[in-house]
Amino acid sequence: MKKSGILLITLMILACGCSKQGDSRIHMREGVGSDTLASNIVTRPVTHAFSALTGEGLIVKEAVTRRNAAGFLELFIVGYNESYNTRRFRYKVTWLDSDGLPIDTKTSTWKAFSATGKTTFSFKAVASRTEAVDFTMDTKKWE
Amino acid sequence: MKTKIFNFVMLVCLFTAGCGEQVTNIDVINDDGKAVMALDYRNFDEAASTLLESLFSSGRLKKQDGSRYVIATGRIKNDTMQRIDTDQLMVKIEREITNSGLGVFTAAVGPGSDKLLQDARELRDSDEFDQSTTAAKKTLIAPELTIAGKILQRNIRVDRSKQQVEYYFQLELSEVKTGLSFWQEEVIVGKRGPQRSVAW
Repeated sequence: MKKSGILLITLMILACGCSKQGDSRIHMREGVGSDTLASNIVTRPVTHAFSALTGEGLIVKEAVTRRNAAGFLELFIVGYNESYNTRRFRYKVTWLDSDGLPIDTKTSTWKAFSATGKTTFSFKAVASRTEAVDFTMDTKKWE
Repeated sequence: MKTKIFNFVMLVCLFTAGCGEQVTNIDVINDDGKAVMALDYRNFDEAASTLLESLFSSGRLKKQDGSRYVIATGRIKNDTMQRIDTDQLMVKIEREITNSGLGVFTAAVGPGSDKLLQDARELRDSDEFDQSTTAAKKTLIAPELTIAGKILQRNIRVDRSKQQVEYYFQLELSEVKTGLSFWQEEVIVGKRGPQRSVAW
């Protein structure tokens, strides 16, 4: 009995990497796309519970800055929501001048964002001063 | 005995008088307070920030010759059930556009124009004032762009106990010369809560 349980869990873990991958740019949510061995009515509760147990959350993959045509610094944040649940959070970007000092601007405020489970997310922030050369970003839970 | 009990009760009453729920100042930098059904300052801050980011990334405020646009603030209609001073939104927008160096606002025209500006200009006909310090005629600069908008509210009943309130912040930038719309944006703030919560 014990052995069969271990075998089932092992199979599930192995099957996680065997799901059919389509175009990575398109995300089919659970219940929309076809079920796979790793994600079906039987394994779903287990994988979700395991994800919650390991505390999977958001990771930021890339933070890219560029100057737009009007001379304002733009920040693009690209990340991935590792959890199965939608993660809602707030972020605040503080723009820094060439001396590394924060620029007092009304665009530096807590803004809401929502990242769907197991998907890539991205958002953009724009400085309202041309003096901005760098940034810092803080996050907090959605109240 | 009765007097002693009375004195004791009075003493307890006096001590507890200062122990009610305390008034606290809001930490406006890191406010973790619960959301409310009505619009609060956090909603205005976020809406203004999103509108400004859209405007600055659109590049529509960048003038070809590098100079600044002269902008007049038009009417910002409050179409909500709340008493809102639309300056809560527009002061932030005007401040950031001015500080960006791309635009400058005129106080000479528009619904919020400065009456004192006109009064001060009429001093040129007064013998009481040194005429070299009064404003000459034909020195006011006309606006090239106007910014106007609307804040509107929709109340939707979700079920017996829940309601949904939607707020729309809409802004539009138009060119005076041609009447063409340069830029337009809308920010939606949605709230869902108990029916008993009042959104006005």
